Amino acid sequence: MSAIIRAERVTVDFPIYENSHRSLKKQFLNISTGGLIAPDAGKHTVVRALDGISFELQEGDRVGLVGHNGSGKTTLLRVLSGVYSPVGGALYTRGRIASLLDVSMGLDPEATGYENIYLRGIMDGLTPAMIERKTPGIAEFSELGGYLDLPVRTYSSGMMLRLAFAISTSEEADIIIMDEWLSVGDESFNSKASERLSQMVSKAGVLVMASHDPALVERVCNRRITLEHGKLVSDEQLS
Amino acid sequence: MAAPESVRQLGAWPEHSGKNDILVGLSASHVWLALGWHDIRQRYRRSVIGPFWFTLSTLIMVGVLGVLYATLFQQNVREYLIYLGVGLVAWQFINSCANEGATTLISAAPMIKQIRMPLTVHVARMVWRNFVILLHSLPVILMFMLLFGYRFTTEFFLVFPALAIIFANSLWMALLISLLCARYRDVVPIVANLFQVLFFFTPVLWMEELLKERSWFADFNPFHHLIEIVRAPLVGSEIQADSWIWSVSMAIVGMTLAQMLMVKARNRVPYWV
Repeated sequence: MSAIIRAERVTVDFPIYENSHRSLKKQFLNISTGGLIAPDAGKHTVVRALDGISFELQEGDRVGLVGHNGSGKTTLLRVLSGVYSPVGGALYTRGRIASLLDVSMGLDPEATGYENIYLRGIMDGLTPAMIERKTPGIAEFSELGGYLDLPVRTYSSGMMLRLAFAISTSEEADIIIMDEWLSVGDESFNSKASERLSQMVSKAGVLVMASHDPALVERVCNRRITLEHGKLVSDEQLS
Repeated sequence: MAAPESVRQLGAWPEHSGKNDILVGLSASHVWLALGWHDIRQRYRRSVIGPFWFTLSTLIMVGVLGVLYATLFQQNVREYLIYLGVGLVAWQFINSCANEGATTLISAAPMIKQIRMPLTVHVARMVWRNFVILLHSLPVILMFMLLFGYRFTTEFFLVFPALAIIFANSLWMALLISLLCARYRDVVPIVANLFQVLFFFTPVLWMEELLKERSWFADFNPFHHLIEIVRAPLVGSEIQADSWIWSVSMAIVGMTLAQMLMVKARNRVPYWV
């Protein structure tokens, strides 16, 4: 069976630009002085967020990503979702990736619910026809009814999350990337949402979820990867 | 074991990297066209005359400046008004693209850090938004032309390819500036100052003839040619092949530069913004 995700010694460094390092002045000084006056220009502090991470995920893997704050979980999720390109190593992925890291991303409070469904759709790269096809489903699931014709700023925060959740979970994907199990709205909607999310996850080939909740990882995942200071310290199967 | 085939689809975007960011981004025209329109609609959502504020502002600006400078330069008001109007509208478009380009990627940071889509989409969205503003301002000039009894000739239609070339040039400038500004924040005020100065050095308020024997000065100003290709057919002056050659070559060279920088910078931008 071929891997859906394969990471080979993936390394990510975050450059830290102090204000002086972002300026052209230093670069010019560097040129004109041959690096004598400003020897530090061009070099800047880096924070190694991921250090040589290697793993292979197969169809059916449900990975719980655990570790302390700052251990690199979110960075790894963002590398998987294509936002950060590794500085070192290589990453292979196959199939459509759905990133549920920030479901409210790109929601415009001044635009109506329907407009937001469209805008989010095109930002995800969907064609207008595809968006039109899935709009009724999103509208129905969100239970927002007539509110979808009103600007999103008139929504309560719970309603806004419902819309964001309904849009984000309306596409099937081969790889799902998530930061904690999404929960939205009041109790009745939350159980409905949880069910929809479970369905989406069960259809997907691979789930990668960062979590601080050991019980959740035990319940949802069949594999646990532990990160510490950007290094992979353990990769174990869960029963 | 053979490496798995890397078919990376993010949302529904096809795989893209620095090499094809501009191509993939520009081909997704429905995305930046819709986003740009959305920006315009947002800006005027609760105003009564909406984007026609651009039309009105141009009318006031060109009307007042036109009469003022026509007197100062002792020009014929009718001719000068149209000359100034076209120049000003075209310049404003180029200028906004450069200045807004400086902050486009920086302000798109939350999106860039959340989903991978071609960076070119953000820039094209901004250029298109400003083009829509241009399209709202241009009718003012046409109105003046009709008012002053301008006779439409076939040369008038050169305006359309000219606008397309200005669009292409503004796009590569914005791409280049946006990538540079993402990395070097000092470039933002540099761009603002540079274009401020360029405005006074480019024949928009004044005419090339006023330079007399120093008119070579304007001949080497690429922005002069860029404005001249759209202005000449409207003011009925002679069409200069030189200006077209300058403008088209600039678009080609500039796009190549933007492409080269994109290849180098694409994957670094999420770390910079």
